[in-house]
Amino acid sequence: MYNNFNKKPLISLIKGAPNWQLLSFLSFFLFLSFNTSAQSISGTIVDATNNPLIGAAIVIQSTNVGTVTDIDGKFEIAATPEDILVFSYIGYKPQEIQVGANRNFTITLLEDSEILDEIVVVGYGSQKKSDITGAVSTIKAEDLTAFPVLDAAQALQGRAAGVVVQSNNGGEPGAPINIKIRGNTSISANSSPLIVVDGFVGATMPQANDIASMEVLKDASATAIYGSRGSNGVILVTTKKGKDGKLTVELNSAYGVQNTTNKLDLLNADEFADYQNQIRANQGNTTAYPQGEADTDWQDEIYRSGNTQNHQLSFAGGTDKVNFYASGNYFDQQGIVVNSGFKRGTFLTNLDAQATDKLKLGLNLFGSRGTKDGLATQSDGSVTVGGDDVISLAMRFAPDKSIQDAEGNFTTNDAIGDEVDNPYAVATERIDETISDNFRANVYGEYDLLKNLSFRTTFGVSSENEMRGIYQPSTLIITSSAVDGRARVTNAKRTTLLSENYLTYSADLGKSNLTLLGGYSYQKSDTKAFAAAGTGFLSDNFSYHALGTATGLLQPASSLSEVEIQSQFGRVNFDIDNRFLITATVRRDGASNFAENNKYAIFPSAAIGWKVSNEQFLKNSNAISSLKFRVSYGVTGNPSISPYQSLARFASLYASRNGETVFAITPDQPANPDLKWESSYQTNFGIDLGLVENRVNLTFDYYNIDTKDLILGDNGVPEYFGYQNAEILTNLGEINNKGFEISLITRNAVKGDFRWDTQLNFSKNQNQVVALINDADFFGNAAPSYFSHDRSYVLRVGEEVGLFWGYDYAGVYQGGDFPEGTATLEGGVAGDPLFYDIPDEMNVRDSLITEADRTIIGNPNPDFTYGINNTIYFKNFDLNIFFQGSQGGDIFNMTNVQLNNGDSNTTKDHFNSAWTESNMNTETPRVGNNSNREISSRFVEDGSYLRLKNVALGYNLSPDFASKINVQNIRLSVSAQNLLTFTNYSGLDPEVNYFGAAGDNNTSSNTVQGFDFGNYPTVRSIIFGLNVKF
Amino acid sequence: MKSYNYLVLILVGFALVACSDLKEEPIGLLGPDGFFETTADIQTAIDGAMTHAINEKFWGRKLSIALMLRSDMVNLQSTQTRRVEMNDMTTLASNGMISEFWPKTYQGIAAANQAIAGAEEVNVDAADKNPVTAQAYFIRAFYYFHLVRQFGGVPYVDAPIIDAAAIGSVSRTPAAEVYAKIIADLEFAKEWLPDTQSSRAIPAKSAASAYLALVHLTMENWQAAFTEAKEVIDNAATYDLALDPDYQTLFDANKIDASKEPIFALDYNNFEAPNNGYDQIAPMTGIRGDALNGGGWSVAVPTLAVFDTWDAEDYRRAVSMQTEATINDTIVDYTQFDKSGHEHAANQPYIAKYIRFPGDFARGNARATSHNYSMIRYAEVLLIAAEAAVELGDNASAITYINQVRARARSGGSWKNTPASAAPADISGTVTVTDVLEERRLELAFECKRWYDIARRKIGSTVFSASGLEGEKPNFTDDDYLMPLPEDELERNGNLTQNPGY
Repeated sequence: MYNNFNKKPLISLIKGAPNWQLLSFLSFFLFLSFNTSAQSISGTIVDATNNPLIGAAIVIQSTNVGTVTDIDGKFEIAATPEDILVFSYIGYKPQEIQVGANRNFTITLLEDSEILDEIVVVGYGSQKKSDITGAVSTIKAEDLTAFPVLDAAQALQGRAAGVVVQSNNGGEPGAPINIKIRGNTSISANSSPLIVVDGFVGATMPQANDIASMEVLKDASATAIYGSRGSNGVILVTTKKGKDGKLTVELNSAYGVQNTTNKLDLLNADEFADYQNQIRANQGNTTAYPQGEADTDWQDEIYRSGNTQNHQLSFAGGTDKVNFYASGNYFDQQGIVVNSGFKRGTFLTNLDAQATDKLKLGLNLFGSRGTKDGLATQSDGSVTVGGDDVISLAMRFAPDKSIQDAEGNFTTNDAIGDEVDNPYAVATERIDETISDNFRANVYGEYDLLKNLSFRTTFGVSSENEMRGIYQPSTLIITSSAVDGRARVTNAKRTTLLSENYLTYSADLGKSNLTLLGGYSYQKSDTKAFAAAGTGFLSDNFSYHALGTATGLLQPASSLSEVEIQSQFGRVNFDIDNRFLITATVRRDGASNFAENNKYAIFPSAAIGWKVSNEQFLKNSNAISSLKFRVSYGVTGNPSISPYQSLARFASLYASRNGETVFAITPDQPANPDLKWESSYQTNFGIDLGLVENRVNLTFDYYNIDTKDLILGDNGVPEYFGYQNAEILTNLGEINNKGFEISLITRNAVKGDFRWDTQLNFSKNQNQVVALINDADFFGNAAPSYFSHDRSYVLRVGEEVGLFWGYDYAGVYQGGDFPEGTATLEGGVAGDPLFYDIPDEMNVRDSLITEADRTIIGNPNPDFTYGINNTIYFKNFDLNIFFQGSQGGDIFNMTNVQLNNGDSNTTKDHFNSAWTESNMNTETPRVGNNSNREISSRFVEDGSYLRLKNVALGYNLSPDFASKINVQNIRLSVSAQNLLTFTNYSGLDPEVNYFGAAGDNNTSSNTVQGFDFGNYPTVRSIIFGLNVKF
Repeated sequence: MKSYNYLVLILVGFALVACSDLKEEPIGLLGPDGFFETTADIQTAIDGAMTHAINEKFWGRKLSIALMLRSDMVNLQSTQTRRVEMNDMTTLASNGMISEFWPKTYQGIAAANQAIAGAEEVNVDAADKNPVTAQAYFIRAFYYFHLVRQFGGVPYVDAPIIDAAAIGSVSRTPAAEVYAKIIADLEFAKEWLPDTQSSRAIPAKSAASAYLALVHLTMENWQAAFTEAKEVIDNAATYDLALDPDYQTLFDANKIDASKEPIFALDYNNFEAPNNGYDQIAPMTGIRGDALNGGGWSVAVPTLAVFDTWDAEDYRRAVSMQTEATINDTIVDYTQFDKSGHEHAANQPYIAKYIRFPGDFARGNARATSHNYSMIRYAEVLLIAAEAAVELGDNASAITYINQVRARARSGGSWKNTPASAAPADISGTVTVTDVLEERRLELAFECKRWYDIARRKIGSTVFSASGLEGEKPNFTDDDYLMPLPEDELERNGNLTQNPGY
């Protein structure tokens, strides 16, 4: 018996066995030996090269009886001659064979080169992947769900060439995710792609587990059908649908723990007092620093171990006429900073029915509620002078203070710098809750008018409602104690109606195929918002729920904004002899938000593809299994004009007359009837190459995008015009992005039950400012307002966007004459920072560091970004290792500007390396130097990184075991995110995203890049997952 | 089957959603088209023009603190570059205070221009609408008067922008022309404004007249300055004006509104308005760690010399300067103001005019107060008359007017129940220009008047010498009498020239 066990196939199943029972292998084989109703069939499964396939599945069709091959590729199964055996293996074409009289089979499974020919969703239709003429990346469901994410967009990071994904605020639960496709195609307008979910334009992203596939449309040939909204690229999301046959119930559950990836090594209380006294000595101040009695590590106080959990239950099934998919999802994350978290519940239902032979009807329903427990981070300096964000406060706050003083009041930073509340108080006392409800319903009908002509109409409604309540209690000494608490409630509700209608005609012209599409679309959105705020509450317990009891009511606000878009669109696909592919599209968009003299815009595109591998000379090539050249050109737009932005406007503002609040107006902006959308003119050249039966798949794309008529504001109109709105707009900018993308998918090894796949993607984008207003430098500031700087980045013709702007650091001044070509800021003494003194137009240096000595000091744009994904399958295990990286972008470490300024705590590294008379050989100026939060190259660092984004190990329980407990499949997995990061950046994390005084953590920006200040830290997580299919 | 066809029809119906003309109809948003219908609408634009002045970017902090720091009466304790540049006369064209108050001033002007242009559309008799519109002329003059003293010639815009290209390339209007237009605006205001208003924060005839006096004084039109000032003084009863018997009342937010002394004030209303529409002067001049109103930030602090050289018998010193604070639960005098241990704390008396009685305030550290700061008050009109009289050789008038101010300064008052002083109040003999300027320095101490006096009288080389109140300011040159135009404004309009020395 023991020997027998070793030689037999590992596991087999018997029809009618009591599959609820948990049986040992031994007892299982006892069953087998007693069964005599079917004959024993045996065989071997091999691949094309005659290597045995280990773990290939053999199932008797329409039953749950089956087995898998052993290490020799052999199997044994009991079956009757009428049974049909289905042989399958991942990545191979399945085969079906009736048993008949044969008792021994040798089955050769062929690799599934059809992977190339999967169906790809395109705008208003779908195509075979091999027929695509544009640049399109597809991300499959398994990649989207490799680890649990709150926003499916996060799962895109590193997965698709040319797509850069970044959280707007590190690991903050519920932070918005910023996606950019092929660089910054704008300066002031939004660069986020258009998201289309199941045909609904501008929809909210569904939950990752509900997504069947995601297509990223990158070039104009693919996006021009979306016209004025296509220039940032388009992400088409298709949610899961039910299939004919048995009901499938699937449970996905994940639980993870999270920690911060990094902390700064800061001074303790004694070191801090030394530091402050040294500063005072250096500044000639004889007052000793009044050291407190505590020694608090503020980072430890605000950070904690966080956790995340995600549970999804879905039902899918159907008959030949009707199928459905329904899913519910619950996500809950407790952030790694105290008092931060996010919860969300989501449901999704898809229903499709073949009502008659000619009519198909369907319905998509989506709903979600998210509740964000927010935290003040990324301070712009507006709430209190000197900052109000928990993260930067924890780094800067005096360590000699306790959390609370003897009377139980929260301490403040009252001995140095601007007085601020302590980070623990700000984190725990401040309430900031955002509740977002989303609902979307989309119905469609598709009717075959003629054999080759069908009409599809969709009608959709979506509603997004976001309510945010903030309460700053009286326990926050600096922020809100004087006013006895401050509450603010804002609400915005957006409703969108969408009707899209189009005809599709396809004609078979012998060797050629012609497909025509033409349609009409109408979309209307309105946004209604209000805000109310008050101060002075009886009790902090009221939170923001009792504005009516406020003793000081602040000015409320409400607004309505409407946008209508109506469009006509069309497309021709012409396939000549399966060798040449021609695609042409056009869309005409009219939009209410476009200015009076430019209400309509036309966006054309054309593309040609040549399937070289279908030519005679390549048709029989063994090496080259597929080869296609693609070239496309087209124009797309970025609407970039907000509603009413082109109209002459007054702003209403607060005023008081005779002690009474009165309504008052002031000129806000002039009329701008010629304002236009921004247009991108894009050329794309691509190659798709498959080698060795498509075991190697290479896609290469080169693109060149000229974006013209960029809308610029501010610098054009003199301030003496007196408009309150600094953003007075003109179509004067031009920007160019060119680059290439490589995507390589290889099946490195397939040997028996071992398989190793690698996906690699590489993107290089080179961006250049081509024209600005009068081609003059355009400066901006990304420092918090209390840094008191007016400039920290520049746009300059001929350069990349958003270069850092400041003094060029030249080391520490050692006393005596300044080294050639350098000087200090006014009043410099030994130990102060030296900067390069830039010669003027006459090539004369003035030996002073002034405004004129500021220059370009860094470039935040990476040279290239990449992702490497390795998946290894071995027997029932699979291992996924995913690296993602960015090379060559600089970071401006604004955190260090603050921490080196003297009026806050600092890093040990800074204090220990600072210049003193006994430590003159250093690159760090003396403490308490005269630099005053200078913006200089001293704080520019290399932001390159390589990150082990995800490691996941999965185990699929053997099918027979699963079936015994009455389930189809059980999968267990454990994964870790952000386990390792290789970088030289000294700050907390190289993925930075801070916007300065003008921004908040819900915005993204094309021009403000690479600044680091007060970001919520990126988290490291370990997640356990369970997937059960019934 | 039939029912399915109906379904198809319904779906086609969805396709036929009405075609739109795509015209925008902003609801709840305001634009110039058809806005001005009544005099109330003119007032609404005027209120907009006036409210820019209370903003943190104008009087609320940026301009007021800049003017204080440039003078010899207020020194800087903090190290912020933009303030250092103001205090040390090393101001760059990129200065972060100028870049804030320059646009804010012009926003006030643009709103006034809108009010004046809008008044043309209001179909009401001149006699009914001009008294309202006159406020717009007044406030426009008020703003340009600040600009011309700060920068000299500036782009002069007096109508809503129609031809942006033309206005966008103008040269600086010469200072003399700007002054002429200021006088014309004030003359119009004086003609139409009523004798009194319901609040001193709404300009009355006396405000226009008093400003005319100050403008003429600045231009050294001594006779015109004297005539205007005298007209205000002679009509004090009609205008409901008088010196307040208690100097402290002028700096007490809860009492100032009832005083007869302010002629034109800004309307602060204990409100934390959006876009920084409130004041922060109190904390800027306040004492670190002081229990009073949550303490201040020790930024703008006079040198000890200001206190030491001020006659202790002058009640104004006690009202103007704070010599005591409660720090760490202990009452300390100014020699221990650094008890807080804060790096910026200074052992000197601080400015008291803002921190002592700010009234109700809406933000911590006495920000967003209800203190209606006087822009011009009756005492200044007396001193204008005195100075002009000295220049005109009318010593008798000069003595009369200056001594009225000096007498009040020695009559004691409510602060610490100060009794009248024994020290003589009267100047006898010949009054000199220096006498009047010194009286202005003390009477109007820390009220942002001193820098303009130094600049118009060109006494910088004296007051910023080693013997000055702040010691030598080595970077001071005559070029500093004018500040630089913002450099980015010069980039926007290449026809604007920079002032000499920048």
